[in-house]
Order: sequence, then C-alpha cells, then structure tokens
Amino acid sequence: MFDEITKSKVQEFRRYYDKQYQERYRDRHFEGKTDGGIPIKPFYTPMDLDSLDYDDIGFPGQYPFTRGIYPIMYQSQPWVMQQIHGHGTPEHCRERMDYLASLGLTGYGEIRSYNIVFDQVCKFGYDPDHPEAGDMVGLVGVNMSTLGDYDRLLHGLDLKKTSVVLNQGIHSMVALAFYLTYAEKKGVSKEDIRGNTMNWLYKGWMTDLEMYPPDSAFMIMSNFVRWCSRNIPKWNTTNIVSYFAEEAGGTPVQEAAMAMAIGVAITEECINNGCQPDEFLPRFGFQIALGSDIFEHVAKIRAMRRMWSTINKERFGAKDIHSLQLRCHSQTSAVSLTAQQPLVNIIRSAYQAFGGILAGVNGMTINPYDEALGIPTDESLMLAMRTHQVALYETGVPNVTDPLAGSYYVEWLTDKIYQEAIKYFQKIEDLGGFKECWKSGWLRRELEESAYKWRQRLDTQEKVMVGLNKFQSTKHRKTEIYKVDPKVKDTCVKRIREYRANRGKENERKQALEHLRVACEGVLDNQKMDFMPALIECARAYSTVQEMCDVMKSVFGWGTVY
Amino acid sequence: MKNKKGHRKIKVLLSKSKMDVHDRGLRYLARKMSEAGMEVILIRHGLIDEVVNTAIQEDVDVIGLSFSVGGHINVCRRLQQLLKEKGAEDKVTIVGGIIPEDDIIALKELNVAGAFGAGTSAEEAIDFIQSLN
Repeated sequence: MFDEITKSKVQEFRRYYDKQYQERYRDRHFEGKTDGGIPIKPFYTPMDLDSLDYDDIGFPGQYPFTRGIYPIMYQSQPWVMQQIHGHGTPEHCRERMDYLASLGLTGYGEIRSYNIVFDQVCKFGYDPDHPEAGDMVGLVGVNMSTLGDYDRLLHGLDLKKTSVVLNQGIHSMVALAFYLTYAEKKGVSKEDIRGNTMNWLYKGWMTDLEMYPPDSAFMIMSNFVRWCSRNIPKWNTTNIVSYFAEEAGGTPVQEAAMAMAIGVAITEECINNGCQPDEFLPRFGFQIALGSDIFEHVAKIRAMRRMWSTINKERFGAKDIHSLQLRCHSQTSAVSLTAQQPLVNIIRSAYQAFGGILAGVNGMTINPYDEALGIPTDESLMLAMRTHQVALYETGVPNVTDPLAGSYYVEWLTDKIYQEAIKYFQKIEDLGGFKECWKSGWLRRELEESAYKWRQRLDTQEKVMVGLNKFQSTKHRKTEIYKVDPKVKDTCVKRIREYRANRGKENERKQALEHLRVACEGVLDNQKMDFMPALIECARAYSTVQEMCDVMKSVFGWGTVY
Repeated sequence: MKNKKGHRKIKVLLSKSKMDVHDRGLRYLARKMSEAGMEVILIRHGLIDEVVNTAIQEDVDVIGLSFSVGGHINVCRRLQQLLKEKGAEDKVTIVGGIIPEDDIIALKELNVAGAFGAGTSAEEAIDFIQSLN
C-alpha cells in the first residue's frame, strides 16, 4: 500500500531499532498479546499494512463499511444512549423511563428510544403466579404479563415519537403482539410503530437456558422475520447478539465469528421460507461487546462490519445498501466489572465506551458501576448517562468519523481479526453451521474453554483486574444496593388473578388460542402459515403471556437443550 | 471434609434455576472442583424441590446454589425446610454469585454454611469445602 521510499525508510528504522534497543534491553521482550490473545508488537509501521489493499479499508459509508456505515456519523446522529433498564411493576419501570428522559435520554432525531428489559418470568413464558416464578417476578426486569401492563407502562406517550426495545428475550414475538395491540387501541397504525425485538431464540447455546429446540427456534425466528418484513417494515426484527458470547467467555475473534454464523444461519432460514435477502436484512441489527482492550474491540467492530457486508453481498447477493450495513448496538462489558471497589467500574466503563465511540457504534449501553452488585440505583444510572454526555459534548471524539482510520496498528489489527474470524467462521461452517454447532454443544465448549483460560490468567496475575487481583483495598466502603420493592410479586400475582377473573371475551380467547395452535402447526409444516396474526388475535382477546406461550411450547417443543 | 463413608470423593451438587442467566461462573467452578478431586453434578432446576430430590438420590455432601438475579433468601429458606422434612439436614449448603453482603447474615441463619459473592475465586470455595468437618 506504500511506495518504495517509505518501505526503505521503514527498513532503515528497523535496522536502527534492532541495533539500539535490542542492545539496550537485551533479553527483555516487549512483544505482548491483546486481551483476546493475539500476539502484538510494541509498534507498527507502514510495512505491517503491506498486504492490505486500500479498498479493504475504503471510505466511511461505502462498501465494505470497515470505516463505518455512514460518512456523517455522530455529527448528525449521535449514538443512541440506550441504557438498558427494567424492574418491578410496569409503574416502577415507567418511573425509570421518565427519570432517564429527565436525564437527557434521546434517540433517533425526535424519536426517544427506551430499552426495556422484561423480567425472567415473562421471558420464559410464565405468568407471575406460576410456581417456578418464585421471587423472580419483577426482580431484574419489568413484569409484563397482560395487555393492561402495556397501558400501565406506556400511557400518555406518543407512540409515533417513541421507539421501544422490547427486550423480552425468548418471547419477544409475544411482546410485539401486545405492543401492536396496544398501539391499535391508541389509534396508531402498525406501519407507524418503531422499535426492536430481540428474536434471539438462538441464545440457548450460550447460557444453558430452557429454550425451543434448535430446529423449532430457527423456524420461529424466520417466520417472525418474514411476517414483520411484510407487515411492519419499520420494525427492527432481529438482534444478532454476540455480546453474550463475550460475556460467556468468548474472545473478540470468537465473538465476531459467532455473530456472523448466527446471522448467516437466520438469513439462510429466511431465504428458505421464501424471503429475498433485501426484504429483511436491512432490519437486522447487532449487539456487540465493548471489552477492556480498547483497540482490540475497535478493530473487532470494524472487522465485523467488513465481514457482514462481504458475506451479504457475495454469499447472499444482497443489493440494498442497508443490507450491507452492520448497524450495531453495543454494551460495555459486564464481566470486566468488579464487586470490589465498585466506583472503579465508572472508569472501566468510560474507557470501554470511548472504544465504542472510536469504533462508530450506533447505540450504546454503558453499564452502571453497581452492575456487579445489583440493578442500578438512580445515582449509578445518572452517572452512566453522564458518561455518555461527557463523551458526546466534551471530548471532541465524535467530531470526526472513524478517527482511527489509517493507524498502522488499528488497521493491522482490524485485518488480523477479520482474517482470524473468517477462519473461525469457516470452521463453524465446516462443522455444519451455527445450528449444528449449537446442537452438538461445540460452541458452548469453545466458550467454556476461553472462559477457563481467562480465569486462569486472572488467578496467575497474567491478567490484572484492578481491585480484584491487584491493588486490593483494605478499607471497606459500603455501596448502596438498589432494592426492588418487595411488594412487586404480590401486586403482580393479585393483578393477574383479577385480570383472569374479570377480563371477559371467553369465547374469543378460546378461539384465538386455537388459531394460534393451528398457525404454529402451519409454521412447522414448511412455513405454510404465520403465527403473528394469531398472537395479535390472542392479545386482543386478553390472553396472558403464559396462555400464549403454553400453546407455542406445546407445538414447538420446549426444554433444556443440553 | 471427611465424607460420611470415609473413603469416596466429596460429592457436590451444583445448581442454578433454569430462569437464572449467566452460568459462566458456575461452570468454571464445576471444572475446578472436579480438578480438585471432587465429584460434581451440575443441574438446572425449576423448583428447588428438584435440587433436594437429586441431592438425596445422589447422596451428595454439599449443595452449591448459584444466583445472578436474586431471590436467594427465599430459595434457601425453602431448601432448608425441605432438607429438614426429608431428614437431610446434614448436607452442607453454600451459595455463590451476586450475593449482597447485607444478605449474608440472613443466609447464615438459614443454615447456609458459606456465601461466595462476586469476585471470589474458585479456590476459596474449594478450600472451604475441604476444611469442613
């Protein structure tokens, strides 16, 4: 990529360096490794980019999008400050939404975006009075079990100016059915609603959860994508989340490769059920980890953009520019946080967020400092918001798109991660692709092995985490921990029982749930039907989350995968 | 820890609710315990009753529960109640994960022998088990 004069200058410098410094330091080595284990040198020169073609880097907003998906980035649209939150009853959650808005939460232009986490109970498809719900009702997410709960959460908001991330994990299709029904009651047409669903039924491979079996999971996901693409075109259907792979132990290379493997598997499934790539790819998004090794994570995100656009163009023949652009939400790393000296986490997360901005992410959650202790307090949430705001308004970093472009190190590392991730992705393909690797437990074992090595590095102090295995504090400072209102479970249980007793529409509901069963069977039968219309019919007939999920589980199967 | 029968390996049942996410720590602990010579059974449970039944069937010495989303106090209360009902109070219970310090006294009162919160090393839990009599 560089001319002969530059090359000879570099060679001259190398000779000088080898002589001067190797004599000075003798046996000391300065070659290191990134946090993900990639061998690195103490400095980089143009020679390290010799094999790289300029087109692989290109321009921001142009294929292969290594440098970002738009030439004008934060100058026009700052990253969306999507702080994840949710706990308690819908009223508790709404209080937090309003609090975040008062702190300056923004979104896309005039549209304010809320990233709402549902509780484990409704994510798994149970009503709050299910025996297995135990104390988990409203504990680390908001309990949203009925249509009435959506009114409690959203009343008074202009849905046309609101974007909601329905972080309902496994059953986000049910959340969307409720949301569409709520919008309909408010006179907002389904074409005008905006937001995201997770649609991450592939997630069971990472965390051992109960789940739909892999084949069913992919049928459900692709059926959902098909219906949304053709009925609610502004809706972001699918979140390809590799964040959890990183959280479960994955290295940046593994994270990048696994994300692509997931994306390819869903895309193939959608094509198999009759969709054109450009129909649905523009509404796929990513959720990527921002880890502690700043440049490695910047390089990873740049490499992932290049991978996604290349795969979609070359493998799937996508033509729409939006199909080639990897839009990503990102989140600072929770595994990097410590319960010891928790205020130090503010610094960690700020550095990681700085990496996210350098990488040109489109949205970001900055973990509040008490993440390793519980859900955030008002204060820790405020500090997370302020971290965004200081970065946006004070640092000058967002003034220029992809400011690290041309850095010998970052460009070298981007290409290195790209090449390594392609190799790893190919390995997954050779083993039969993502779905087969999920079934066989191969991916799970790979992550577990990485997690094991990570911990070994900590235990031997090869890896330092300040306050945990070095610079421990003997002084103990008590940290305030947020306590969810202990009455939440009783309130939710009482409400759902009253709801069931007083809702009416018995016949309509019976019929709707039967339609849902038939539709799900139609999905299993070669995708001949869509389940979303039936889910909406169930929501209109005041079904609860568990009533709908029970039908889906009975048709598609349900259980622990491993 | 001296085993009842005096000769076999220390047997540990590790479990986490199916609805509780993030099992990285628990799986790491299971591996380290195996490496330390313990026999480890790792299950996910719906109701805590399943843990008690498995613990009795498998005749384990230690029950280790992991929590990352809370709810540990009531789960441990129910666990102790069931162990008592079934005459299995001799099984040692330990907990780990996101366990707020303020809850440790309440857990100790519920017969939880050890609580290993965020940042604890696997060795601490292993040493603790091995030091029990």
